[in-house]
Amino acid sequence: MFFAGLFAIYFTLRAAVPEMWAEDSALLNFPFSLTNTIILVSSSVTAQFGVFAAERLQSRATGWKPSQWGMVEWFFLTYVLGAIFVTGQVYEYAMLVSEGITFNGNAYGTAFYLTTGFHGLHVTGGLIAFLLVIGRAFAVKNFGHKEATSAIVVSYYWHFVDVVWIGLFLVIYVLR
Amino acid sequence: MKNNIVILLVLGAYFLLSGVAYIVWNHLAGNEFEATGSLGLLLSAVLAAFIAFFLNMVNRSQGGILLPEDMPTADIDDADPNIGHFAPWSWWPLVLGFSVGLAFLGLAVGFWIIFLAIPFVLVAITGWTYEYYRGNFGH
Repeated sequence: MFFAGLFAIYFTLRAAVPEMWAEDSALLNFPFSLTNTIILVSSSVTAQFGVFAAERLQSRATGWKPSQWGMVEWFFLTYVLGAIFVTGQVYEYAMLVSEGITFNGNAYGTAFYLTTGFHGLHVTGGLIAFLLVIGRAFAVKNFGHKEATSAIVVSYYWHFVDVVWIGLFLVIYVLR
Repeated sequence: MKNNIVILLVLGAYFLLSGVAYIVWNHLAGNEFEATGSLGLLLSAVLAAFIAFFLNMVNRSQGGILLPEDMPTADIDDADPNIGHFAPWSWWPLVLGFSVGLAFLGLAVGFWIIFLAIPFVLVAITGWTYEYYRGNFGH
């Protein structure tokens, strides 16, 4: 619902000033953002492998091979991928600001930073949640169903945030 | 779960038929294509079919065991499982509420207050997450 509202803001402003959109969205770095998108989508895949491990009630790796990894290893990998995504977003913001697209500059900047910024905040919240779930796996002697449930719940959140990004990516970078 | 799957499939078929009828009827009446209703009906069909598909997968992975709602002889008690562990009482939600409140006060009054609030938020959220993982409750 929240992101539906942000999409509505984006589309309303885009319909009101199409020439501003054509001019400003040309400054977006599509290959960079596509790479970042692929990183975020693959983090959803690794999160799901973490969930499979949690459903086996396996918190730690039994060997170095990814097929022997536990939830903790998969979630750490997910955390790294998510953190790379957020870092990439910060870098992209810096690039865009240097090219003159700012939050309070014009309608395009406001819509762009509002939508992607709130998504970035959600990703950051998800990263903190992953750390808390990993911490729970370290806090217990026996990794049980309660810990597995919290891992599954956080993965649902993560997949949701990922799907929202795919929508944002298609609208902002592909449709323009 | 079988019954739920059938109900959702029926709903999906119904929405698909009404969506197609809506578009064709609208076209025959000489109106131009109406996106909102057409998309709404067709997407409802997709959503119903999607949940049916998901439940079918869950049903198969559980080996097709019957849920209480599938059995005519079931009691209400049978469909009242232990949903999870909930704290009977806890101070942490109050602590987290005050900390987040302080952070939002920072947004409204002065940004420096947020830096004051961050440690409180972090302590509250870890405290709440690990309330039943420490001391007496360590497991």
